[in-house]
Amino acid sequence: MTDGIDSASGMTGMVGQLMHLKRYERPDGARMVRNRQNIMREVRELQRNRRKSLGDLLELNMPWFFAEPRYGIAALFVAFAALQYVGINARHSARSQTGIYTNPGTLTAYDRTTAPAYTSTNTISYPNLPGNVPLFQDNRFGRGDDVQFVGRIEAGQ
Amino acid sequence: MVDDEQLGPDAFPELESDEDGELEDLSGEEEGLPPDPDSGESAGPADEELVHKAQQGDVHAFDLLVERYHGRIYALTYNMTSNREDAEDLTQEVFVKAFEALPRFKGKSSFYTWIYRIAVNKTINYRKKRNRKRALSLDAFDHDIKTDPAYHDLTSKGSPLRNMSLSELQVKLNEALQHLSEKHRTVVVLHDMQGIPHEEIAKMVKTSVGTVRSRLFYARRQMQAELSEFMK
Repeated sequence: MTDGIDSASGMTGMVGQLMHLKRYERPDGARMVRNRQNIMREVRELQRNRRKSLGDLLELNMPWFFAEPRYGIAALFVAFAALQYVGINARHSARSQTGIYTNPGTLTAYDRTTAPAYTSTNTISYPNLPGNVPLFQDNRFGRGDDVQFVGRIEAGQ
Repeated sequence: MVDDEQLGPDAFPELESDEDGELEDLSGEEEGLPPDPDSGESAGPADEELVHKAQQGDVHAFDLLVERYHGRIYALTYNMTSNREDAEDLTQEVFVKAFEALPRFKGKSSFYTWIYRIAVNKTINYRKKRNRKRALSLDAFDHDIKTDPAYHDLTSKGSPLRNMSLSELQVKLNEALQHLSEKHRTVVVLHDMQGIPHEEIAKMVKTSVGTVRSRLFYARRQMQAELSEFMK
């Protein structure tokens, strides 16, 4: 058994030596130069065709954001909260000159002094017709303005 | 030690679901990777500075990163595929993918670890999509190999490999490597060829250090079995 192990380790040592010799395999210099040139040419072509996406631009200009995403997300949240705060304050202090915030007195098209009175709303004006008298004043037969046949009415009666 | 075989055939789910691996930085302390003697890594601006400039759209800064890490990424993809044409295609895809994903790189890990992870995942997915054996297409050995003590050991009189030519040895080794499963080949390449520490590999493939060690052990044992007929 021991012999077997020793033999095996000896053989492994020989394999190791053979592997070591493989380091002396040298590529052809001209081929290597050509290979490097091909790489550089392809890299330049890629660079020419490369369109920087928004993500790439952000990553280049804000590397801290992508290095520690949790801090980046926290920073985004703080920025969002700050914008909300500023927005709320701005709405409270705004004096808009248009829309529902408009003060009508400032509009040139609106002149309170010359505005016609009949523009008042929620009033009904009935026409004042002459001779609009009820036929019957008596309510014995129902409503006085109901038209019912009660006989001939002679003129002068 | 974790028994690797207990992990089952889907022991690399992370590499299937996270197709390109570029979206997630590896967290934790950077352990540092061995320097690449072929790159001028120590000279020039720091990676962080270059990455920042490249993120702003400076392609020249990205060129410097390509110059700096091209050799390592090529070596990784080459050792994973044992095919230099595939390795070149993959290296190109890895850097282009890295450039596309650069805006999402947060710098929690080093640029090198990040791009390495892309390379590992891309290579594994590339091989799965092809789903067929590729012929070996190997880089030549450097002449400096003859000065390496390991070479002397392997070709000395007492070595079972003394009668093999260097090219034969290279083919057999690469064939044995390609017969490994993806998960085993990944750890072997990362550790034995790239010199990356276990802890770093564990982060790259999202597994424990024990599992990395276990995979390394089984991978070496399988390679030994593959090469045994030449080692007699």
